[in-house]
Amino acid sequence: MHIRTPHDWALPESAATPERDYRLRPRREFLRTLGYGAAGLAGAALTPRDLLATTAGFPTQPNPAFRDPALKPTPYDLVTSYNNFYEFGPDKADPKPNANQGWKTEPWTVAITGLIRHPLQIDANDLVRKLGGLEQRVYRHRCVEAWSMVVPWDGFPLAKLIALADPKPEAKFVTFTTFNDPKNVPGQRASTLDWPYFEGLRLDEANHDLAFIATGIYGRPIPNQNGAPLRLVVPWKYGFKGGKSIVKIDFVARQPRNTWQAMNPREYGFYANVNPEVDHPRWSQASERVIGASGFLGGRQKTLMFNGYEKQVAALYRGLDLTRNF
Amino acid sequence: MALLEKLLRSKVVIWTLIVLPGLWPVWPFFIRPDPSALADPLKFVLHHLGFLACLLLAIVLTFTPLRVLGPKWGVAQALNRHRRLVGVSAFTYGLLHFGVQVLYQYDGTYDGTAAQLAKELQKPFQLTGLVTLVILLVLALTSLHAAIRWLGGKAWKNLHRLAYVAAALAAYHQAAARKIFPMQVVWIFGPLVLLELARIWKQRSAAHRPPAPLRVG
Repeated sequence: MHIRTPHDWALPESAATPERDYRLRPRREFLRTLGYGAAGLAGAALTPRDLLATTAGFPTQPNPAFRDPALKPTPYDLVTSYNNFYEFGPDKADPKPNANQGWKTEPWTVAITGLIRHPLQIDANDLVRKLGGLEQRVYRHRCVEAWSMVVPWDGFPLAKLIALADPKPEAKFVTFTTFNDPKNVPGQRASTLDWPYFEGLRLDEANHDLAFIATGIYGRPIPNQNGAPLRLVVPWKYGFKGGKSIVKIDFVARQPRNTWQAMNPREYGFYANVNPEVDHPRWSQASERVIGASGFLGGRQKTLMFNGYEKQVAALYRGLDLTRNF
Repeated sequence: MALLEKLLRSKVVIWTLIVLPGLWPVWPFFIRPDPSALADPLKFVLHHLGFLACLLLAIVLTFTPLRVLGPKWGVAQALNRHRRLVGVSAFTYGLLHFGVQVLYQYDGTYDGTAAQLAKELQKPFQLTGLVTLVILLVLALTSLHAAIRWLGGKAWKNLHRLAYVAAALAAYHQAAARKIFPMQVVWIFGPLVLLELARIWKQRSAAHRPPAPLRVG
């Protein structure tokens, strides 16, 4: 029997601040109001971080077009405790403690540069405001290590950011660079990977409806260990494509070499599309372990082509040999 | 040192040192729940058992070089009383690790699980794990006195040198389980490599000197 116990972050609908109140007040004032409100909510474990982190305090609205009722979101606690973020250590338990020992993600500036008409350096909050706020989407998340989650991300479509940047015709790819701060970040003092972490997409992939920049999960500001404050989410690709804590978005003409591809081109490609037919040289990709599955043995399910987004994205790869372009 | 020697001579102490670490997952599962372990409990157990199998295999292989390097050292003598127990426990943890791997691949159907296992075993990563286990099985089965008598000392010794092959394969298998090279492999197998080099060096230099009767195990 499966008994559902509500989590401490599961606020009732009635606890939500009316949308009108959000919109009428400037952000700081909104935060203060939310602070008073939170004090009155017994057991609504809101931390100072929920109120003060970069991109906190923006209203988020579930986008019904990206909410498959069949998907059961992975509990918040697991999504934020089981992370691959090699900047903060090699084990999945490392990022949560290591990324929260004084590592600052507020304030945060991102540079949007390259072959575009409107290059800019912009504060993360200003960027969210400029792009018209946040929405929530529930996406499957499939790691190249053959495990998966379902995550309710808050954020904005990458296409909106691209429209703001206004790429020139010669721009064919978009790259995403993570921070480089070996002084404050333990993992970057080791040469496990070639820092800073670097990822890229074809411009048409980046412009796809599903491509998303996350600033939060479960309606709360995205925790440091999940890539605060700006993190790329490309749900039909393996998780490592989703660069975390992005400081630079660069539009370029030639296909970039992403970090994992540079590290081991035999095992990791540029595309990294989820594909049950094309194995990792060391393990099968035909199925995956479901994080937080109920029961000790209930954890394995078949992996879907393009992680279940085949209908939406298959057209992007028509004519491309997916066995070679893995 | 005398106390340590006395403790290490005791079978009860060695059994405790072998069994207790196997129970470790109880801590992050039940006593102090750790969400990163509970995210996929079976995977946590899988990796933990594999880690212990590697660790015990590396440890038991250090006993001989320790004795060669310090023939009069009581600790080395005490440890060498437990070679079979520690060796068989490395196999046992390896077997449990394999059993959990079968459950880990279980997808609700027996055919699907079998197909998935067969697919995984075609990869060097998984195949080396299985070959390691088979070697340890053969060594465990021939660890009885009767087997030594049946095979004869020399053949038995040659057969049991396969333990070194098993250690090398286990080190590869453990490293291949991760996307980036895990330093764990170095601190598990590194000391063994250093001790073996020291032993070879000592035996080489002893061989150049006239008759120095030295029993090597």
